[in-house]
Amino acid sequence: MNDINRRDVLRYGAAGAVTAATALAAGQALAGPKPIPLPLDPRDFDELYKGRRIRGRLLGLGRDELHINNKKLALTAISTLFFPEDGSEPYVAMGYISAINHYDPVEIVEGRNQDCLKKLSRKVVDILGDLELGDEAAKGHQH
Amino acid sequence: MAVVRKSIAAMTSAEKITFVNALRRFKTTSANGRNYNWYIDQHITYFARTNDNISHAHQSPSFFPWHREYLRLLELDLQTVSGNPAVFIPYWDWTGSASPFTADFLGSITNGSVSSGNFSPSWGWTMYRSSIATSFLQRRVGQNASRPTAAQVNTVQSYTVYDQSPWNASVSNSYRNRNEIELHNRVHNYVGGHMATREAPNDPAFWLHHCNIDRLWWLWQSSRGIDTYQPRTGFTSGVVDNNETMRPFGAGRTPSAVRDITPLGYSYA
Ligand SMILES: [Cu+2]
Repeated sequence: MNDINRRDVLRYGAAGAVTAATALAAGQALAGPKPIPLPLDPRDFDELYKGRRIRGRLLGLGRDELHINNKKLALTAISTLFFPEDGSEPYVAMGYISAINHYDPVEIVEGRNQDCLKKLSRKVVDILGDLELGDEAAKGHQH
Repeated sequence: MAVVRKSIAAMTSAEKITFVNALRRFKTTSANGRNYNWYIDQHITYFARTNDNISHAHQSPSFFPWHREYLRLLELDLQTVSGNPAVFIPYWDWTGSASPFTADFLGSITNGSVSSGNFSPSWGWTMYRSSIATSFLQRRVGQNASRPTAAQVNTVQSYTVYDQSPWNASVSNSYRNRNEIELHNRVHNYVGGHMATREAPNDPAFWLHHCNIDRLWWLWQSSRGIDTYQPRTGFTSGVVDNNETMRPFGAGRTPSAVRDITPLGYSYA
């Protein structure tokens, strides 16, 4: 299934609609600008992590969007080796890097329950500590 | 003048002072048509694929020669700004116990903002094109990754194929990619803060780290052959071949031209 079809199924599928409503309700509970308008992908998120507003939209590989405290972080998808923590053989997968985690890709896992974008946003918050993203972080580039 | 690049563990305090003062001066003075921030610009620009769809600096075979030329130019510029042809870039062998993060060298703050001492704003060090909104150099040493061990270095050094198709970050049997990911990337993440970002040369630790990466490549070349760069022909798309110019460096600055460090004016002790 290509990106568009997969997304449409997730966005407009019956099971997806229920989750989207829940996600929207959770999003509205937060202060600040209004959440992204419907329809939401059930995996989209808008929540707090360590006091930071992390907001992700899944629009397909290479088009996914991430904001931290309303500052955009441009993402670059690369094909790369991953080395499992347990020392088992490395494998090739797609990963996202950004200006912030430039040498530490986060694996992109397909599927409706995946939370790789959320994982990436938490990693970035951990790296930032009490600082914010600068404008440079929003500038994307190709690899 | 030919220089010998020493380990940080073998540097005298006078050599440390000379090195950090040359960097500070180069932040505000240009030499040979470049200044310190030019280096940060090049790192950001050539990390990405250029409009000819070539990956020059990272995730490609020219990772090693591109950085070799990049360091050679910086060493030359530091010699020029300080009027001292003996200035050399030292290497940081991160498998050993000597740390560059001391008050008399790169600064001793390793958890957050370098707010005082060497490489703080009051000392004369400013951030350029930072993707983190701050005017302080950031470091989070050891929080996100551990250092490679000597055993891991040996394993990486034992790969015999320089590089091969598809010439990117996904090649498994490739000395270049194993070194780039398992050693090079890991130390960027080990230092953390700005070293983990696209604009990593904001941290002077960048040069000490890449000097060690260059030394490891030279050691590898010394046992596998100096003229072992791949790909050899001029027709491999998306990568720099052995006789293709590496941008932004001038005409003729090819992987082949930098394969031997002796004519480049330095050696390793
Ligand atoms: Cu590097």
